[in-house]
Amino acid sequence: MALRVLGLKIVKTNRNLLQNACKSTAPATGYMAAAPFATEVTIQAAPAAVQKQKVSKAMRSYLKRANEHDEFMKTQHLEFQIGKRHLANMMGADAETFTQEDVDEAISYLFPSGLYDQKARPAMKSPEVVFPARKAAEFDETGRPFHSMFYTGKPNFFQLLHDIVHETNKLADLEERLLRRGNKPDENQKLEISGFQLLPKDQLELLLVESIADIEYSNFTKSMERLIASPYAYKSKTFIERFLKPLMDQSKQLEVPKPKIDGEGRQYITTYECLRKTARADVTIRLPGTGKISINGKDISYFEDENCKEQLLFPLQFSELLGKVDVEANVEGGGPSGQAGAIRWGIAMSLRSFVDQEMIESMRLAGLLTRDYRRRERKKFGQEGARRKYTWKKR
Amino acid sequence: MSFLSRIAEKASKLSGLRLMSVYPTHYVEPIVQKDKQLEQKSDLSKLFHVPIKAAVNKASDTVFHDDTKEKMINYITKKGNSALARTLLSKTLELIKRTQTEHMNLAKGDKDAINTNAETLLKQAVENCRPLLQVTAIKRGGVTYQVPVPITTKRSYFLAMKWLLEAAREKERKVSLPEKLAWEILDAAHGQGRVVKRKDDLHRQCESNRAYAHYRWS
Repeated sequence: MALRVLGLKIVKTNRNLLQNACKSTAPATGYMAAAPFATEVTIQAAPAAVQKQKVSKAMRSYLKRANEHDEFMKTQHLEFQIGKRHLANMMGADAETFTQEDVDEAISYLFPSGLYDQKARPAMKSPEVVFPARKAAEFDETGRPFHSMFYTGKPNFFQLLHDIVHETNKLADLEERLLRRGNKPDENQKLEISGFQLLPKDQLELLLVESIADIEYSNFTKSMERLIASPYAYKSKTFIERFLKPLMDQSKQLEVPKPKIDGEGRQYITTYECLRKTARADVTIRLPGTGKISINGKDISYFEDENCKEQLLFPLQFSELLGKVDVEANVEGGGPSGQAGAIRWGIAMSLRSFVDQEMIESMRLAGLLTRDYRRRERKKFGQEGARRKYTWKKR
Repeated sequence: MSFLSRIAEKASKLSGLRLMSVYPTHYVEPIVQKDKQLEQKSDLSKLFHVPIKAAVNKASDTVFHDDTKEKMINYITKKGNSALARTLLSKTLELIKRTQTEHMNLAKGDKDAINTNAETLLKQAVENCRPLLQVTAIKRGGVTYQVPVPITTKRSYFLAMKWLLEAAREKERKVSLPEKLAWEILDAAHGQGRVVKRKDDLHRQCESNRAYAHYRWS
């Protein structure tokens, strides 16, 4: 942040301004640029008629605030540019082509921090990112609001609800008209939303430049759902897509490693750090093999429990590679169950290199590719165990 | 559609929720069996973007896996020694298999009529022991009434297995648990024995107390 590293003086002089700017607390992200609602706080954003003599008290104070904010942002920009230049000089790079990534790198190099929280570490970011966007003037020079829903306090949000209902009604009308003509919705154009989710509350708030309550957010989700459920939802695709966020494709998130070739010409993959409970294992899978399993130099009888043996074979049997690959594992720490779980995860992770994408997805659905983070829950004082309470005695 | 909102809502409302699980709320239970995955094939595309919980250390996709058996093992377990419980149950099933095979070999008439599949017999026994109703004590006007109330499917399975086990644990010292449990299961599978009688007794009690049924809500 320009302020934190280089411009402490400015912060002191503009403290009241800063407080103003920080009142809407949500941190800004890339959404600002795409915000469809007026957020620019400039004199230009105020109507031209403001120059007239009769200016309401509200408008005057708004103009004053806007002016101060503009000045403040201007100085911030200046500071940021100078800071960037300094950094570029220090790092021996060209100041003109110094990007934000270079800035972050330089800061972490010049101000190494051992602080755990990312937010507590020194940073230098563009003032647009640091100070959240604010709404432009919502009323004219006489103090009369532009928006009919100004007095709801959240005009943008309620306007959005109105828009959604408007779209829904439009689609319902369309459906009825086409039904009367005997037309049916186009199945090929059906809106596919399985890879998307509705904007979470905090992001919607950023988009609207308004803070909304939980119940209002649930109103938003419900009305959006009704809109999306319409068979003609594809007609208002552009509108819907503004409020959707793509979900990450789970099974492609982790890159599948390419198998290496060992001395005997066999393919092999080693997965290090397979953890479960307090056990830790390294697992090597070799293809082609005969189904040989060696754990710490022993065969599968390393485990006495039937259950643990079954766990080892589970991913092999699931991917239909039982008897076709060799498994070598080194395991330490933990008990039999934890060790078996660690090796199971290692085998499943390694087997990804030898099966197709469909099988990887199937294994993921079976819960084989998820690291099991569950640990023993601690005992609590005043209780008999982690959850169990002492027997209640009246006296 | 509710699926989509569930993710969005959970993502936004996490702060007010007390989480006991290690997994965040948007994690979904795994579908361990492959045939179950094939069954739900049309819904799987929805799970494409959803993180899945890890399979538990009892999960498996073999022909030997059976949900009733797993539950039974859990109920037999004492002090976390599930390995022992597992051997006890497998011994029980072995005994059932042996007795039934013996019966089959000794039978003079129709040999196919005798079921020698121990797992189906266990399932049959549990089905035969499931109660439909239960009586709870409800106090009205200083008098306690035994009021019949319906129970959930889950609880009915629990009670059936619990009764089977209780019957098996009431035994002489010389008899081992697998032996007694095998007898009880075989009896129950044929609709006889103490456990089925216990269920019938409960049903009879509910029937005789049906006049009090309205105390459940008034």
